[in-house]
Amino acid sequence: MSKASIGRQTTWVEKALRVALYTVLLIMAAVYLMPFLVMLLTSLKDVEEIRTGTLLSLPSTLDLSAWSKAWGEACTGNNCGGISPYFLNSFQIVIPAVLISTLLGAINGYVISLWKFRGSDLFFAALLVGCFIPFQVILLPMARTLGWLGIANTTTGLVFVHVVYGVAFTTLFFRNFYQAIPGELVKAARLDGAGFFTIFYRIILPLSTPIIVVTVIWQFTQIWNDFLFGVAFSGFDTQPVTVALNNLVNTSFGGKEYNVDMAAAIIAALPTLAVYVLAGKYFVRGLTAGAVKG
Amino acid sequence: MANLVIDNVKKRYGTTEVLKGINIAIEAGEFLILVGPSGCGKSTLMNSIAGLEDVSEGRILIADNDVTYTSPKDRDIAMVFQSYALYPNMTVAQNISFGLEMRKVPKEEREVEVQRVAELLQISHLLNRKPAQLSGGQRQRVAMGRALARRPQLYLFDEPLSNLDAKLRVEMRTEIKKLHQKLGTTIVYVTHDQIEAMTLADRIAVMKDGEVQQLGTPQEIYDNPANLFVAGFMGSPAMNFIPAKVVSQDGNPMLELATNSTVTLPFPKPEALANHIGQTVLLGLRPEMITEPQPHKVGQDFVTTTDIKVEVTEPMGADTMIITRVNDAEINCRSNPAYPAAPGSVIEMMFDTSKAVVFDQASGQRLDI
Ligand SMILES: Nc1ncnc2c1ncn2[C@@H]1O[C@H](COP(=O)(O)OP(=O)(O)OP(=O)(O)O)[C@@H](O)[C@H]1O
Ligand SMILES: [Mg+2]
Repeated sequence: MSKASIGRQTTWVEKALRVALYTVLLIMAAVYLMPFLVMLLTSLKDVEEIRTGTLLSLPSTLDLSAWSKAWGEACTGNNCGGISPYFLNSFQIVIPAVLISTLLGAINGYVISLWKFRGSDLFFAALLVGCFIPFQVILLPMARTLGWLGIANTTTGLVFVHVVYGVAFTTLFFRNFYQAIPGELVKAARLDGAGFFTIFYRIILPLSTPIIVVTVIWQFTQIWNDFLFGVAFSGFDTQPVTVALNNLVNTSFGGKEYNVDMAAAIIAALPTLAVYVLAGKYFVRGLTAGAVKG
Repeated sequence: MANLVIDNVKKRYGTTEVLKGINIAIEAGEFLILVGPSGCGKSTLMNSIAGLEDVSEGRILIADNDVTYTSPKDRDIAMVFQSYALYPNMTVAQNISFGLEMRKVPKEEREVEVQRVAELLQISHLLNRKPAQLSGGQRQRVAMGRALARRPQLYLFDEPLSNLDAKLRVEMRTEIKKLHQKLGTTIVYVTHDQIEAMTLADRIAVMKDGEVQQLGTPQEIYDNPANLFVAGFMGSPAMNFIPAKVVSQDGNPMLELATNSTVTLPFPKPEALANHIGQTVLLGLRPEMITEPQPHKVGQDFVTTTDIKVEVTEPMGADTMIITRVNDAEINCRSNPAYPAAPGSVIEMMFDTSKAVVFDQASGQRLDI
């Protein structure tokens, strides 16, 4: 037996480095978790306790009233139904926008990588520019376009905006992923008699799970967290939850109810949190997924 | 089964011409092997035949139909790709039956066909596996199976055995030969393997830089190479090229060699050398034509015995290669391992020029055809 096959002894230097590494990681985690902890604690206190206690003091009782108020009674502007309707609005925007932009990105990426045509690289380069256009730049032209299309201030309009803006990113994701797929796969399928969509649906899409997960998470977070487009293009009753949250925080009759604000903020953040917890593993895996073997 | 005509096919990528006017016509049921150095355009030609690349000029005819602008699926071709290109998400069985499914073959028939092919290729026990769970050789057989499940007019095999171990390669080579004899389908087959080319082909097309250098039976290519390139490309170890001066002896043009002494060799087609007296030509002589003295050859025409100085020996089992210098060119001789040939020693060898060929030194063209 060679020496290498016996477990290697770790030196004390390595151990010390390990400890240092974990210390740094723990500190970083604490730094990132602290605000959330404060939010959570605050949301569970009543107004009186917030005023008298410190940021990190624990609530005396487990008081969920701020949560139910944020959900169903708090006033956003002069509408006092909590953030729940806007929460639903957000879903109505996010789900179609994510699905459509992901699907379009997949098809775009499929064409650009595996059905190259004259100028497809140029097309991709042009599309890539879309990733670098700041939100603010497209506000006015988009407002005109939405008006012209007759979907201003509607959920459809917001979905449209997010799809248009998101396609550059989703295409980039899928294109890079499909770049690693050997072109001979498509050639073989063409000789087998399959057409453009059959190949996509039967061969390419089943290989795409990792990148679909990445794209869905990315798009979901982007669109759910969007504020600017929400403010600019939503109507009175189609506002996404981010806009409602802002209105809620800015609307005060009498004293500021920080506990309600915090509860509302956490509620607004829950879906993205859930997506990360459920699919985060695949996110990392998908980002590092390499060539398709076999 | 169909004949295939490639009529002056050219293929350009931008300004670089990858195929420079390919003309090949093969009969129905013929086995054509394409050989040539890496990058000479073999795969491009295969893809053009399959319709996976558009040709820039020329025509392709399958079974006398012009298919130049026909889409791949309507050409009735099955192809085995060099990289196998198995569908990673499908099982072996699904891989094999996909082409049939696309052609709307009923399910029961597909299953029968998958079984038949799997048995033929001895992969029945692998049918439910995914490609990633297979070894290279197994994948290769699945790739073959995918092509064989269909009965196309034309099979294209692009280096289908290139990734196999030596033993499996020989086995598969025999299988392919049997299959061809059984099915009688027209096959175009790319390989870098000399033995594969010689054993499988009805005819071989030797390509270089997007041009066909020679199209002929394996024996023609081997014995009668059209030019220096073909002569040097086919055969392993390669043909010896010896710059030799043409001298006139008793009115006959002979080739002068400086081995250990100076000898003149007769040439089977002296008329080809008549105009070159006093010039130097390239004599092409296969290693197996320079051997230890063989009693049964003594006294034959075109057999000359002379001394050479052994530089290196390379035992290959069945033969031993003896390397020496003639006219300052390094040459390989094939001798019996029992023949004593110590490096540095001077031994007697027999030069048989009955199949020798000569080339123009500058252009590389054959002088004797
Ligand atoms: N898409 C392309 N664009 C530009 N040049 C290409 C393209 N595809 C192939 N070529 C060039 O065409 C030439 C022929 O390529 P091809 O793949 O046909 O070679 P090959 O004979 O099959 O080589 P090998 O034996 O290595 O497989 C090469 O010089 C290659 O660089
Ligand atoms: Mg090739």
